[in-house]
Amino acid sequence: MSERANDPPEDTQDEAVIALEVELDAPPEKVWRAIAIADFRERWLPQADLAEPEPVASIPGVEVQYRMREDGAPFADSLVTIRIEPGRRGGALLRIVHRIEGGARLTSANDNLRPVSMAA
Amino acid sequence: MESEIFKALADPTRRSVFEKLAVGAMNASKLREGMAISQPAISQHLGVLRSAGLVRERRDGRFVNYEVDPEGLVQIGRWLARYRAYWPRRIDDLKALLKDMDP
Repeated sequence: MSERANDPPEDTQDEAVIALEVELDAPPEKVWRAIAIADFRERWLPQADLAEPEPVASIPGVEVQYRMREDGAPFADSLVTIRIEPGRRGGALLRIVHRIEGGARLTSANDNLRPVSMAA
Repeated sequence: MESEIFKALADPTRRSVFEKLAVGAMNASKLREGMAISQPAISQHLGVLRSAGLVRERRDGRFVNYEVDPEGLVQIGRWLARYRAYWPRRIDDLKALLKDMDP
């Protein structure tokens, strides 16, 4: 398993955003399973760190959004968006964007992509 | 305290108020310029930002100016620091999981 980059491309104090991307030596479909299937997800992103175990929104195979627990306060939200893109040589590029925010909106660069499930 | 910050910044209007004040201190009417928002509403938003410790009041003669409270920025900095350390650890666990999983 090799990685290329672990450096945050954008990360500003003003916005309270953490963004990082990492190249994974596994095909995107496999990375998607590790992220979207709860039993797998639990092994790297434990439910204890999430406000709720179900994703806020997801685009199968592409993007998933979780609400993160902030000191157990029910109203205190931060949202993490985990996006998978094809990487080099059959690997996957994982993009993580985590921000202090209330909304549950998927920010997709591609207009053809629509969230298939959205929390109310 | 930290959780109050998340609540305060979850609202887009309050985020833009906070961003305006990050540029420099100003009073409520100056703050309202260019925003479609009533005086009572801006007072209410400022109240929430104040109780979250993000914004503080400074009296200047008859006027009250609002400014970013440095303590609030420290809290945001703490949030950033926590998750900057958190995500690389999670990614390490993800890599370990990917090794374990069937192809």
